[in-house]
Order: sequence, then C-alpha cells, then structure tokens
Amino acid sequence: MRRFRILLWVLVAVAGAAFAYLSFGPARKSVPEAQTSAIALSNLGGPFTLVGSDGQPFSSTKLNGKPFVIFFGFTHCPDVCPTTLARLVKLRQQLNGETTPFEIVFVTVDPERDGPAEVGSYAELFNSPIVGLTGTSAQIEQVKKQFGIFSKKVPDGDGGYSVDHTATVLLFDRTGKFSSTIAPEEQDKVALAKLKRITA
Amino acid sequence: MKRALLPALILLASCSKAGPADVRISDAWARETVAGQTAAAAYLTLKNEGSGDDRLVGVAAPAPAMAMLHGSDSADGVARMRPLNSGLAVPSGATIELKPGGTHVMITGLGGPLHAGDTFRLTLRLEKSGERPVDVRITSAAGPESH
Repeated sequence: MRRFRILLWVLVAVAGAAFAYLSFGPARKSVPEAQTSAIALSNLGGPFTLVGSDGQPFSSTKLNGKPFVIFFGFTHCPDVCPTTLARLVKLRQQLNGETTPFEIVFVTVDPERDGPAEVGSYAELFNSPIVGLTGTSAQIEQVKKQFGIFSKKVPDGDGGYSVDHTATVLLFDRTGKFSSTIAPEEQDKVALAKLKRITA
Repeated sequence: MKRALLPALILLASCSKAGPADVRISDAWARETVAGQTAAAAYLTLKNEGSGDDRLVGVAAPAPAMAMLHGSDSADGVARMRPLNSGLAVPSGATIELKPGGTHVMITGLGGPLHAGDTFRLTLRLEKSGERPVDVRITSAAGPESH
C-alpha cells in the first residue's frame, strides 16, 4: 500500500513537471523587438515620392490639404492587411457626412512582389477609394523610415515568404502633421474619435 | 488506501477528457481576392459538443491550393503570422471562433481569385472527430458583418 502511494505521488510529480515544462519551457522563442524608429513622433511623415497604381510617380503633394491615414502592408497578406483596410473603409463610411472625408493610403512593404498593378487591384477590392502605392526598394525603405515603419521578410518554409510589419495605422491632419495612431486591437469608438480629430 | 486518494484525484484531474468528441463547424467565410493574390484567410467557428477533448490537426483545400492553420499576432504593434504546427485544441464544451487578426486558416497557392457569393470546400482534420468538410462562403472584402 505504501509503495502504491509513493508511486502515485511520483506520478503526480512527473505530471506536475510535464505541465510546468509545457507551460513555461522551453523558453519561448523571443520575438525580435519591433525596431522603433529614433525619430520623434512629431516628425513622422513628411514629403515623399512613390509609384502609383498607374505606374506613374506619386508625389505626397497630392495629399496636401487633405487629412489622411497611412497603412503599410503587402498584398499577399491574407489576414491583418485586408482586415485593417476593410475596417478603415467602414470607419470612413461611419463618419461620412459628419466630417470631411480622409484619404486612405496603402503602401506595400513588399515591392518585389507588389508592382503598381498589384497594389492597384488590391486597393480596388474594398469598393471605396484607397490610394495604393509601391516603389523601388530604396523608395520604400526611405518612406518606411520617415513613417517609423518596421518590416522584415520571414521565410514560410515552402520557398516563399511572409512579411512581419508594423500593423499600426498612422493618422495625419490636413497640414500633413502627425496626429495619432490606430492599433488593430483598439475599439472602433476610440478609433472614430481619433479620426474625427484629423477631419474636423 | 485513503491516503492514496489525494494523489489519485490530482492525477485524474490533470488528464484530458477522454470521451467521444463531436466537433461541429459553422460560419465559415473568407474575403474575396483579386487576380495575383495567391493567399487568403478563412475564418470559422468550431464547437465541440462531445464529452471528450479534440484537436484540429490539419486543413485541406481544393487543389492546387493548400491550407494550414496560422496564428496572427500584433502585440507590440508588429503583425506576425506563424503556422500553428501543433494544431488547435478544441476542448469538450468549447466554442472556438477563428476570426480576423487571430487564428485563421491560411490558404496559399490560389489558382484564381475568390469571387464574392461563391463557396469553396475545406476539409478539417480532427484528431477524434475525423474529417469534417465545411463550405466556406466568400464575402466581399468588407467581410460578413457589412451590408
């Protein structure tokens, strides 16, 4: 009997250790820290030139006098990017009539696969005007830096790749001044209040 | 014997529920895509109405497309998408919703665009419930909650 009891306790210890191992170890792969840009928030943005969906240079002066929100992603992104763009369109519709509409700008962080045609048709998917932009790798890198955007290619194991990227939307007022951000997990109510600030 | 009761109970409690599992799948949808887009995400709800735990271990899409379980996470502001190699637990009694910005079925190698209004079939492979087909409704890019 005593042996049986000891055996049971040993089993409990083993189960406990296994549980602890599964819960806490092996040390979870630490995710690379988002590289936060060194530029101050108030300096985010500024003039840029990229390539529009028509293949022509797109100058940020086209946004002069208009409030805009800018989101960086890529067209092969199936989850976070369409979710974010669909949400921005929905929020813009909710504000419609209340304030001046804002522009939605989508910039690819994957210019290798996303040419003008790809960003163009992707932007049209949402049945509401979205400015889709691409550019040379150097242009994209420059604009990412200006807007404090992080992105990094990650091999998917099948010879392809995915891209980790900043999922935060940046909001700018009609003078081109940075106003605030919208994170994916933020409630619509908060997001709408921020959008009202740039469109007021 | 009484003194063996406590460790025996602890052991029992640490085991998973071993009865029959019965996972129902519903509300499957995916956003439409445009030509050139080779990847899409499908979302659905899993409900385990059985008395035993189950696990979603694989998903198959119609050829040439391939499907796998993926998790998105945008903690610290950076969106990352990674395969869930060990599958997804569906405990007895649980309802698990795969929704935008979280766990989803990642479909790659799409032969052509997905058109709103169409459906396509996914086959979910569960450890205990076996293979369960589900028809995925293709919605506009806005998703199912839009009008």
